Amino acid sequence: MQNRRSFLKKSLIGSGLLAVGQFPFQSFAKEDVKRLTILHTNDVHSRLDPFPMDGSRHQGEGGVVARMALINKIRAEQEHVLLLDAGDIFQGTPYFNLYKGEPEIKAMSLMGYDAVTMGNHDFDAGIEGFAKQLPLANFPVLIANYDFTNTVLEHKTQPYKIFNKGGLKIGVFGLGIELKGLVGEAQYQQTHYLEPIQIANATAALLKRKEACDMVICLSHLGYEYEGRKVSDMILAKQSENIDLIIGGHTHTFLDQPTILTNKQGKEVVINQVGWAGLRLGRLDYEFGNFSTKNLAKAHSVIISK
Amino acid sequence: MKNKLTFLYSFLCYALFIACSSPKATITKHTEQFYTISAANGQDSLMQAFLSPYKKGVDTIMQGVLVYSDVPLTKAQPECTMGNLIADAQLVSARKIDSTVAISVVNYGGVRINFIAAGAITRGLVYEVMPFENKIAIVSLSGLQLQTMCDQIALRKGWPIAGLSFQIKDRKAVNINVNGQAINESIVYKIAINDYVARGGDNFEFMQKATKRFTDILIRDAIIDYLVAINQQHKVYHIELENRISYAE
Repeated sequence: MQNRRSFLKKSLIGSGLLAVGQFPFQSFAKEDVKRLTILHTNDVHSRLDPFPMDGSRHQGEGGVVARMALINKIRAEQEHVLLLDAGDIFQGTPYFNLYKGEPEIKAMSLMGYDAVTMGNHDFDAGIEGFAKQLPLANFPVLIANYDFTNTVLEHKTQPYKIFNKGGLKIGVFGLGIELKGLVGEAQYQQTHYLEPIQIANATAALLKRKEACDMVICLSHLGYEYEGRKVSDMILAKQSENIDLIIGGHTHTFLDQPTILTNKQGKEVVINQVGWAGLRLGRLDYEFGNFSTKNLAKAHSVIISK
Repeated sequence: MKNKLTFLYSFLCYALFIACSSPKATITKHTEQFYTISAANGQDSLMQAFLSPYKKGVDTIMQGVLVYSDVPLTKAQPECTMGNLIADAQLVSARKIDSTVAISVVNYGGVRINFIAAGAITRGLVYEVMPFENKIAIVSLSGLQLQTMCDQIALRKGWPIAGLSFQIKDRKAVNINVNGQAINESIVYKIAINDYVARGGDNFEFMQKATKRFTDILIRDAIIDYLVAINQQHKVYHIELENRISYAE
């Protein structure tokens, strides 16, 4: 609440400045607004079919047939869309037991996923099991804090990818959870887990400063929040720099609205997560201006949020 | 005047940033929403055609027979055959992780169908019995806490159990017996139970504080593995009521 208030305050000061110095440029600036729609899922857990009509809580919900129809509808309406998944694609229905992840990856390719990260359950068929399905993916697997040296995944994933969307540069990178104790060693083998916050800040700095990305998105399978000190999206957000959005997973958290925190630089970080099982599709619509329109548009968004 | 100078200064800073290949655009606004995915969003025919052969394969497997049972399995309280199967399977599975697990407890509400006829038990039927993604947890309870647990089960008119037996008298558990022995208050008992209950679900708050270990074994998979193992020994599944929980006269 405190953060929100100080944000409002700053924005109002900003709009005051604008009234003095920048007003003549307003009409010119408005034409420069760029838009990006981010769609996301997490922890789909092989739920290719909707939940059965058995009187259960989620009956009829989910499924790739309806998800694809929805995604296509949004793509028809929005020019620039990024479709992302935060891991645990595998395990949870007989589809996985039978086909070892093939229809999950193929369906995601059909839907046009732009990037995913790896969850702990994506090791459930062993690291070889995941590597075997990878050639079926027409999207990259982004993971910055797993070192796959001497495993079958070596050189098959990448830490980040930069997407060019209508003149915007969007940097996306992935973070995975510590596997020890969560996944059998036989499954993850020599995968080396690296401390995520340090890696996240280094990767985000590279994307924003060196690569000049207009936005940095972290696909995280760390989990939303824990009791105690275990690293989570909440902890990452507060200790991060240069990350604008964290799309999370692992804890199957249904956030009806995203959590907005302040990072180490005093800037806003958005965390979102959409539960599990492909029951929901998350959507975030971002507007970008060039630097001269920054304060103007922020003042505008304050009025709307009131 | 001071404001104008500040503005000029920030403008110069921005210009400098741009020169150093800084981001050219900045986020000015964002809005969020989520969709609940359902057929109301439409059905994509391309995806439907893609999924169809896999779905046929899954349906075929779900119709696959795990084992034949010579008795019908029913759901009832205080004890039932369907419940005994689940509790036994859960105990066998938990002991593979920790051989000192003594007791298995199944929350009655987690058993989702009432009847399986004698004959073929298919994989699909096991999914119907246990549709949830609950996993086995191993909870350590003192003798005193075990008494509390049995009282809670008695209050709920009996849940499926294995490795344990007792009688219900005045809505309390009496004559509690763990693998042939009375409760010893100085012993720590390890109990295999659904992770949801282990976390305090179904009003089992006393479990929240207990030491516990969460396994990655789905209870459903434990049942499937248990039945498949019986079939592999060329046996037919058989279960009886054994007075695991009964009412005291």
